[in-house]
Amino acid sequence: MAMKELVEYIAKALVEDPAQVHISEVVTGANVHLELMVAPDDRGRVIGQNGRIANAIRSLLWVAAAQEGHRVTFDIV
Amino acid sequence: MAMEHRASVETTAPTVGEAVERGLAKLGLTREQVEIVVLEEGRKGSLMGGGIPSRVRLTALDPTAAEDPDLEAARTVVQELLERMRVTASTTAEWTVPEDEHETRHALIEIHGQDLGIMVSRRGEGLAAMQYLARMMVGRKLGRPLPVILDVEGFRRRREQQLRRMARRAAEQAVERGRTITLEPMPSNERRIVHIELRGHEGVTTESVGVGRQRKVTVVPKAGAGADEPPSG
Repeated sequence: MAMKELVEYIAKALVEDPAQVHISEVVTGANVHLELMVAPDDRGRVIGQNGRIANAIRSLLWVAAAQEGHRVTFDIV
Repeated sequence: MAMEHRASVETTAPTVGEAVERGLAKLGLTREQVEIVVLEEGRKGSLMGGGIPSRVRLTALDPTAAEDPDLEAARTVVQELLERMRVTASTTAEWTVPEDEHETRHALIEIHGQDLGIMVSRRGEGLAAMQYLARMMVGRKLGRPLPVILDVEGFRRRREQQLRRMARRAAEQAVERGRTITLEPMPSNERRIVHIELRGHEGVTTESVGVGRQRKVTVVPKAGAGADEPPSG
């Protein structure tokens, strides 16, 4: 839950259209898979040049997951 | 959890006047808006080092006057990120003081807490990622870029001690060998620590050379200092 909130907070701060930010979270044992959906025009704002923003989000998720003993994967769909 | 803005700072510089100037710059306030307490009157070092820097504490007379909206925006984003990462920490914000006219001031957000090893593990990957995201998020919030830098309490202090030792060693070498010692490239806040450490030194002067990320401190022996025999002609 914490990780979903983290992605939501970051994504909503970066996009033009926060109403279209949706996150799905699938938990399989200790693995958490998060998928972020945003308005088509906002994709670049959460991916960043060469995926730099998406990768920074992954790094923070890794810290958050490590606190709770989870593993996390993250994709923008 | 402490959420307050920093309304008080302690600063260190070779003289009391410089320490006060630096504190005012950090708070973004004028002399009339603060109470000044001199914690330590510095004195100049000798050739062997041993100078003591001046230390002052500045406290905003009106704490709300210290609430710089840019600093507060950056601090809030960092605090909110930490909370959502379940990292127990508080944050304080201040402006960095540029070393010289080539540099601009940055919003420095310091993270305080007991258990922050996770933020600097994997060579500080989490901290670097958070700094990058905070810049992007604050930039969008303000509608213009704001240079934000993050620091974790304790880690910076250790680095400072390391830099001071490195500075003194370079000064010794410069005097012994009678030639300029060039240190590794480092960011402005670290260069400043080296400059201050050696400013009172009688045997050397310091100067930053190079551009951007390659900028580094050189430690230059003063003419005649330390050389066994002064150069003739």
